[in-house]
Amino acid sequence: MAINTETQKLPEIKPLKSRFRNALSKYRVTITKSCNNCGLCVTLCPYGVYKAGSKKPRVIAEHLCLGFPCKEKEFYCVNRCPEKAIQLTLNPAFEILGDKRWSADLLASAWHMAETGEIPYQGLNYKTGNSGGGFDKLRFIFPKEKGPDLPDEEVSTAIELNRSGDSRPSVTIQVPFYFGGMSFGSVSIVTMLSRVKAAAALQTFCCTGEGGYPEELIPYDDHIITQIATGLFGVREETIKRVRIVEFKYAQGAKPGLGGHLLGDKVTARVASMREAVAGTALFSPFPFHSVYSVEDHKKHVDWIKETNYRALVSVKVSTPSDVDMVAVGSYYAGAHIVQLDGSYGGTGAAPDIAKKNIAMPLEYAVPKVHKFLSEEGIRDKVTIIASGGIRSAYDMAKAIALGADGVCLGTADLVALECIRCHHCESGRGCARGIATTDEELTKLMELEWATQRIINMYLVWRRQLIAILKRLGMKSVTELVGRFDVIGHLDYIKQEDLEGELEL
Amino acid sequence: MKKKSSVEAIIDSRYHFREADKLAKQAGIEAQEGGCGVTGFACSIPVSGRHIFEPSVQMHNRGNGKGGGLAAVGLTPAQLGVDKNTLDNDFLLQVAILDETVVPEMEARFIRPHFRVAHEAFLDTIDDYRDIPGLDVKPPAVKRYFVRVKPEVLASFQKERGLEMLTYEKTEEEFIFQNTYQLNLALYSALGEKRAFVLSHGKNMMILKIVGYAEKVAQYYKLENFNSHIWIAHQRYPTKGRVWHPGGAHPFIGMNEALVHNGDFANYYSVSDYLRQRNIYPLFLTDTEVSVHVFDLLNRVYGYPLEYIIEALAPTGEMDFDHLPEDKQRIYRQIQTAHIHGSPDGPWFFIIARNDLQKKQFQLIGITDTAMLRPQVFALQKGEIEIGLVCSEKQAIDATLESLAKEDPRFGTVADHYWNARGGSYTDGGAFIFNLKESAAGKLSLTCADKFGKPVDVPAGQTPHNSSAKLQTVGASHKEHIKDILKNLTENNIEQIFAGLKEGLASWDYSEFSYFLDQLVTVAEKDELKMPAVSLLSLLLDRRYPTGNMRRRSVLQLISEALDSIFRKIPGIDENSKSVFRRIDFNTRPSLRGPKGPEQVLVTDAGKFQPEGEDAFSRIVADAYALGWKQFICFGQRGQRFLGCGLGADTKGVRIDSFGSSGDYLASGIDGLELHVHGNAQDQLGQIMKAGKLVVHGDVGQTFMYGAKGGEVYVLGNAAGRPLINAVGKPRVVINGTALDYLAESFMAGDPFNGGGFIVLNGLRFDNNGKAVPLDIPYPGSNLFSLASGGAIFVRDPHQSIVPEQLNGGQIFPFNQRAWKLILPYLKENERLFGITIDELLTVNGKKLTPDQVYRTIGAVKLSVLSGSAALAMNEEWEEED
Repeated sequence: MAINTETQKLPEIKPLKSRFRNALSKYRVTITKSCNNCGLCVTLCPYGVYKAGSKKPRVIAEHLCLGFPCKEKEFYCVNRCPEKAIQLTLNPAFEILGDKRWSADLLASAWHMAETGEIPYQGLNYKTGNSGGGFDKLRFIFPKEKGPDLPDEEVSTAIELNRSGDSRPSVTIQVPFYFGGMSFGSVSIVTMLSRVKAAAALQTFCCTGEGGYPEELIPYDDHIITQIATGLFGVREETIKRVRIVEFKYAQGAKPGLGGHLLGDKVTARVASMREAVAGTALFSPFPFHSVYSVEDHKKHVDWIKETNYRALVSVKVSTPSDVDMVAVGSYYAGAHIVQLDGSYGGTGAAPDIAKKNIAMPLEYAVPKVHKFLSEEGIRDKVTIIASGGIRSAYDMAKAIALGADGVCLGTADLVALECIRCHHCESGRGCARGIATTDEELTKLMELEWATQRIINMYLVWRRQLIAILKRLGMKSVTELVGRFDVIGHLDYIKQEDLEGELEL
Repeated sequence: MKKKSSVEAIIDSRYHFREADKLAKQAGIEAQEGGCGVTGFACSIPVSGRHIFEPSVQMHNRGNGKGGGLAAVGLTPAQLGVDKNTLDNDFLLQVAILDETVVPEMEARFIRPHFRVAHEAFLDTIDDYRDIPGLDVKPPAVKRYFVRVKPEVLASFQKERGLEMLTYEKTEEEFIFQNTYQLNLALYSALGEKRAFVLSHGKNMMILKIVGYAEKVAQYYKLENFNSHIWIAHQRYPTKGRVWHPGGAHPFIGMNEALVHNGDFANYYSVSDYLRQRNIYPLFLTDTEVSVHVFDLLNRVYGYPLEYIIEALAPTGEMDFDHLPEDKQRIYRQIQTAHIHGSPDGPWFFIIARNDLQKKQFQLIGITDTAMLRPQVFALQKGEIEIGLVCSEKQAIDATLESLAKEDPRFGTVADHYWNARGGSYTDGGAFIFNLKESAAGKLSLTCADKFGKPVDVPAGQTPHNSSAKLQTVGASHKEHIKDILKNLTENNIEQIFAGLKEGLASWDYSEFSYFLDQLVTVAEKDELKMPAVSLLSLLLDRRYPTGNMRRRSVLQLISEALDSIFRKIPGIDENSKSVFRRIDFNTRPSLRGPKGPEQVLVTDAGKFQPEGEDAFSRIVADAYALGWKQFICFGQRGQRFLGCGLGADTKGVRIDSFGSSGDYLASGIDGLELHVHGNAQDQLGQIMKAGKLVVHGDVGQTFMYGAKGGEVYVLGNAAGRPLINAVGKPRVVINGTALDYLAESFMAGDPFNGGGFIVLNGLRFDNNGKAVPLDIPYPGSNLFSLASGGAIFVRDPHQSIVPEQLNGGQIFPFNQRAWKLILPYLKENERLFGITIDELLTVNGKKLTPDQVYRTIGAVKLSVLSGSAALAMNEEWEEED
């Protein structure tokens, strides 16, 4: 299959500050009263932590501070301060930030990448979290000898989404990821638009989620996946005909078997009108499609969309039950171009913890299971497998691909780029205190569209750069070579550096 | 020591089956799953296996060609090389040989020592399976034996297994059953080597299965001239890719029954455990196998009558249970307590073909799960020949009848009666049984009854039309009369002409009626009279009226034939003509172009078009619309799906008239256009419908208008399960019949008095004279308007038979003048479309009442679980003060 390897022009990184006066940081920098305002720290610090002030310098960006490793540097302000007026400590707030899966380090790394477009240097672990399992225990095994050093431009990160060989058009995305569904209603219109605009800039896609297709999205039709979920909210023939990819959401890995539930508080007049429902009343998406109780119903369902839009690709999003391989093969035979496996690690605060932590099969089991099964069936190269659910970093993405996915679908990471702090209050009251997952008009104003769009672009351009670095170390010229390479990946519980020929990256 | 009951004795005698369990555990294998399409019919005369093709072919999209099978019950002795006595009394053991070298071993271990074999032969097949297109895997060789157990073998079996209390016949059956199990365990089972397995072993019945579509079975084993009273078939849709042997295909056997199944239960493991506790260990690892084991267990081991078996499989629940008579409640409660773990949970629909030796009858049984999650349609046709049918789709029933009628004119192409079962209900028990029993020497008669034995029959005293019978010449006065009727035919006086016809038609015979139709077809040759003629015929097709001595289905068949002949005479799209009408079909579709000159109506012949995909019938309409056509007549449909889909936004001014067997998802997503279905419709109509008008002159299937946003919809008959679930916006729907269950669950259609949506439910049916009469209860289900937050249902319920217990969250409000004003325009349109007058609706027991005495309002209540948090409300108050 011909893949359009020619990288079309991707957007530029534009550094963008936090929208809050004090960004959350790993380190705390304080200047005591003994400061004589000599201004040395301002000139010393290459990271721009300080700004000159009238009485004493102000700490304006402690999140950019290199922290304790700075001791070794000749510009270490704590030592160089003539009055010893600078104190560097760990930020106590950082300790309670995040959780095992989305650790404070990962959150701060994402913010850093979204702000600066650079890989963090502050000693933050931007590769893994602290969950003690899953992707956090998987590591790449890189060959010891360095391959030829290719320029980044010669490494392709593009993937083809229509591998079926049918008469529908080819759809290539320049990065091996797209953005998953978050409905208007669950997130604000600014959040929704920023994700869509970022997707368009990155030449990939963003899914509408189940909640309608706000008019503001129409200019980006070619980069939108319209979702048909069990409530059928906001789905019209018009919206199906408008897009290049239509996604059926059967289940979410974060809450399989639970359907969707938008609490009454979030159903504002605009949300209600988009979904043509009653304002102030909770909206349910039932757990199943009431019209689909078997695989032949599913095929009929897919056929319906194909007859409504002759050119659209069909994606089927499923969670990961123990027979996920059967689900995937069934979806393929029903005519799906893309099968999205939504594992158990994903989900915002709207998914109940009991479901998030206990139901679906972990992604790192589900993806290879499906990849192997489809390979044995001889149909792996006819269908695109997208992994989703808890992809937090470029490393997670690369690992999912090495485990057998063609690409990944992202959701929470985008919100973190917008300075989500993972407080898990998406579903309380009017929603998000940071104005991301809200429909409240005032809270929505907390964020500007251009800022949000560029933050997402910045972060994912860094991810792409990291992915290219991984591919280069593995001696690969295209991300498609990484698919299903179980040999370049290992689980820390089962491998030891001394038994390996390659280099285990810790 | 307490004496064992026969139940315990039989279960205990199967102790050696435990071997299978060990093997299964060792192998660590899991059950397979998949979906399917099923069909079956029972006929008073034996008919060829070819007729089961038609529905099977039509339901290809319900299978994937990876498994199909047929079962036949009530065979023809001569075609099997035995006499009637042998066929009736010997077990017909049919073994699939996957590895031909196994035959000597198989016979030495499982046939010769035990049986007296009256007849044995390999089934005749075509020479090379590759001659049948689409058959990729060689079907197994099949060896057939007519056997009886040797008396001495049976005696020692009885003794050894402690089955002395059983009758000879029962013991012999148990021997056959256990021998088959042993054979499968040794030579097949999903666990071990796959060399041979028993296809069937009941009396006067047989099963064949292959890897491929079901109809290929009939072709490969040359069943075209093989006749049987009952046929059932199954298209399997296994999700596992490469399949090389047909063991997992349906039908599966118990003892004297074959079962096909559409669905997939959620509690396979629980049902398997239930069986395991009774010493039955599944070997083929599909849910169908366990279903039929449960059936056989309850039937042969527990000795339950059919009604109780059905109750054990599909227990009566909720409010339906309360409606049962007390003595039934007592028994059912016991059955449920004892067997609930053997009751399949989730979507399933069973079709069972059975030789009921005890009652000397053949049976075809259809049972649906309690939530009716799989589609199912029953049909009955009686005349000189009697036939009962059950299928996943109505169009498959019509295809069977068409195929039969082509061969034997005593069959009609339309059934007398089509209906759905209401799962786990007190009304019909969710099951119907067709019985074929000898009524005179050598003659079988068909009866049909529901689970409780309540019969379903055709109107008495009317003769169906035999299309081969010569029509008599009609009298001059009739000719004059017809001429009179038709001479003023214009588009404007059709209702008038119809009204006149309705009066006289009941006194006509078929000759007179055919004469009238012929004249009408002739009149329709004039271009300007074509539309009036079609409209008049549509009215005759759609409306209910007395038909005198003529059977309604024959009248409908003749009208459909007349319509088809008018349509077929319309000039083709590539012909020269000045007609307003143009016809297009599969062959001429490349000539599709926009309308020219006077052309207005595109008549589309659905024959040969596929139900979906690149050659889908729905595309011709969507493509023609894009080229400028606005009016469509679709005919010759055989279940082609998605009609009306894909035309896009704002299609006001487009009209589609659908004749024949339309398919699933019709009118889904329509936004402005008008679609008339002449006859019954199938499943999933009007999904996400946005605007426009849909008129169905018959019943609609499952999940009608799921997630609809608007539109005006009129249904003459009933809606099956789950209509209008999750509908929002402003749909306005009149259903003149009732709905099976879950009507308007999670309905969110705003304030009906302020532009929101509503449903008018009239709860009527039509009697044999075509008169609308009220149903016993306008809505029998226990889930009405559950969790709904908007919209309303206005139900015709003058006797206040709907009770609050049926509503999960809704509330009954008084019906006021405002509501009447709201629904009146829709009832007027309903009257115009279906002839159900407002007067009729307001008349109860011969007395005209006021609207508020007849209708009731079911509306939404604000449920605390659905509304916003109290804390936030407080905040808002506080903000206001601020």
